Amino acid sequence: MSLFSSLSVSASGMSAERSRAEILVENIANADTTRTAEGGPYRRRDVVFESQSVSSPFSAFLSPEFGAQAQGVGISQVAVDNSDPDRRYLPGHPDADKDGYVAFPRVNPAEDMVDLLGASRSYQANVSAISAVKDMIQRSIDLFKS
Amino acid sequence: MLDPVSGKLNQYLTLVSQRQQLVASNIANSDTPGYLTKDIDFDSELQNAASGAQSMVEEVQGLTMKNDGNNVDLDREARLLAENALRFNVASGLLRSQLKRLRMAIEGGNSGS
Repeated sequence: MSLFSSLSVSASGMSAERSRAEILVENIANADTTRTAEGGPYRRRDVVFESQSVSSPFSAFLSPEFGAQAQGVGISQVAVDNSDPDRRYLPGHPDADKDGYVAFPRVNPAEDMVDLLGASRSYQANVSAISAVKDMIQRSIDLFKS
Repeated sequence: MLDPVSGKLNQYLTLVSQRQQLVASNIANSDTPGYLTKDIDFDSELQNAASGAQSMVEEVQGLTMKNDGNNVDLDREARLLAENALRFNVASGLLRSQLKRLRMAIEGGNSGS
């Protein structure tokens, strides 16, 4: 039943966009973090999306040919930005080196905010798709009622 | 199926829901690098559906490609999402009235309620 797999496709989109938003929020929150468990300043991270099949065994059994065509989305990797940190002159800072410079993460909050808006809009688009499909399923169920 | 009209409606509903699945997939992949918009040629597939052939999925031509190799146009997908929902509503309404008429015939035409 392809309508139910449409729900899984949109749900995978929602979950991917949510993870993307989480990573972006983490970047914004850590824009000034100078200490991490790995040592050194925080490093900006980015998600990489990839098309993935979402067919469940149940739907694959019912419509084996068509089900493979509609693909959901997933996160293939979280890329870490390894560019050089931003060095600011703050001699009083506990993490300052011998010249008085502190390594700050190279995070541009404006860039991440814009990306966050994009993630939010894409999430909304997936929600609209789910509600449209849900309405169609409801119509099908209504056929049983006289 | 019960009669030719219901059979046609059944094929139509199947095709609309397959198309809706592709639209959902396009929307979910609107940020996936290298993803190309997929769709079915609705009118010709509707002609083929009578012969029981499997729908052919093709990549849509003439869309603007973004820098990451993705060509999903969210406005196009939003339009198709609404269009498919409306088409589905019409066809399921017709099928419903068809079933109602059948029930009426079974019950001898006196099923007022």
